[in-house]
Amino acid sequence: MEAARTLFAWGANSYGQLGLGHKEDVLLPQSLKDFSCKHQNIKSIAGGGGHSAVITGAGELFVCGQNKEGQLGLNHTEDVLCFTSCNALSSVCVIQVACGWDFTIILTGNGQVLSCGSNSFGQLGVPQTSGGCLIPQKIESLTEKVVDVAAGLRHALAATESGMVFQWGTGMASRANRASQGKMIPSFLTAKEPCKVTGLEDVKVKKVTASSYHSVSLTDEGELYVWGSNKHGQLVSKETFLVEPQKIDANFFSGEKIGAVWSGWTHVVAQTETGKVFTWGRADYGQLGRSAVVHDGQRQEVQRSSEQHLEQLSNVPVSVPCLAGASQIACGSEHNLAVVGGHCFSWGWNEHGMCGDGTEENVYAPKPIAALGSAKPFLIGCGAGHSMVLCQIPDPLLKFPSTPIRCHRPPSHVSLPQQSHPSG
Amino acid sequence: MSVFHDEVEIEDFEYDEETETYSYPCPCGDRFLITREDLENGEDVATCPSCSLIVRVIYDQEQFMCGEVVSAPTSKELVKC
Repeated sequence: MEAARTLFAWGANSYGQLGLGHKEDVLLPQSLKDFSCKHQNIKSIAGGGGHSAVITGAGELFVCGQNKEGQLGLNHTEDVLCFTSCNALSSVCVIQVACGWDFTIILTGNGQVLSCGSNSFGQLGVPQTSGGCLIPQKIESLTEKVVDVAAGLRHALAATESGMVFQWGTGMASRANRASQGKMIPSFLTAKEPCKVTGLEDVKVKKVTASSYHSVSLTDEGELYVWGSNKHGQLVSKETFLVEPQKIDANFFSGEKIGAVWSGWTHVVAQTETGKVFTWGRADYGQLGRSAVVHDGQRQEVQRSSEQHLEQLSNVPVSVPCLAGASQIACGSEHNLAVVGGHCFSWGWNEHGMCGDGTEENVYAPKPIAALGSAKPFLIGCGAGHSMVLCQIPDPLLKFPSTPIRCHRPPSHVSLPQQSHPSG
Repeated sequence: MSVFHDEVEIEDFEYDEETETYSYPCPCGDRFLITREDLENGEDVATCPSCSLIVRVIYDQEQFMCGEVVSAPTSKELVKC
């Protein structure tokens, strides 16, 4: 059977996280033909430090990649090079998976949360055991139904049905303590089991994202609350560290409500309800995709002449016009994917080819991944240094499903961002 | 000249007793590594085996000095003798 929908993967592959059966980095999208043929109904794609996870419409979880800490939940610690069913969850309907650095957080259809992998920082949220967990186990202390989960470098988050946020994992604690210089810090920053995030009592949170050293919550009123490290201006604050959630003023988003938010390790991407996409935080590898630094030849010059100006700008949300109306966005550690106008765009750090343009040069403005050709992106997902996209392959191409469609130039119907939005 | 991807306090590294190596997550998915011996020798650059990124390790070299530590006898011990 030929695959109408095909999963493509590319980028860093040190642990087999691309599911391609090997551990070589891949600079152009490669199709996972066998897996795609067997599983046409993929609903969600996620990636962690060195592992990947997809969920099917039936609620089945498939995993691959690094497994040293048991983060794949397969009851062993060998790396897995092809997507493999997480059999321990065969009786469970998985609706969301969040991959942290070396652990995995799993949300089931009845609102329960499970975790597996490393517990060195209490990031599994379960009573302390001697080490990590090789099989997903339920976080019993989360008693209310959970509606959204997120996993960062060394901490995790859950939003409950009533709009509360719980955090666990001590990843932020050392930075919080250094920034607070001996003053007390809230207990959710040092908790090894789910602890309610204080300071959000007056709002109802519906979505959470966890990053390397910061957390983001999106409320049902379209407001963003952030806390944690502000080392790269990712919290739009003057403080170096926010120990409690602080709202980002809607004026930064032209007064519009936020509809969705994503986070890399040190940068943030948010989309307003009208579809505008804002980026802020760390910018040095092109993470923010701002076309002010687009032109390859001039980039160095631009940076040198106004480095300080750019640095200040990166601390403030700025709209990226070519991403307006994006139907999906995903952030890796320092790179990003977006689906805009039926095309998959990429930008940011590209040393391992995670931008999928066949090079290792950083991409400073979002550009369509030409190698995907006329394959229509359906779902996207990123790990730290790798990228995945589920594409609908047009009928005439079905006879070549295993061959990545390579183009040297974007198809003529693709408008390059700098052409269609010269103002940047 | 190399540019550091980040500057990281030693307390944020994980330590593997078997290999006597400190490690810290690299954005590529691999880990920045530096051995205890490197730190004792005053080295402060942790490298990632998979990519070009490097981080500077912030630590107090005195806490990693090699050689035996000989403590002076306390007065209490002297009395006992």
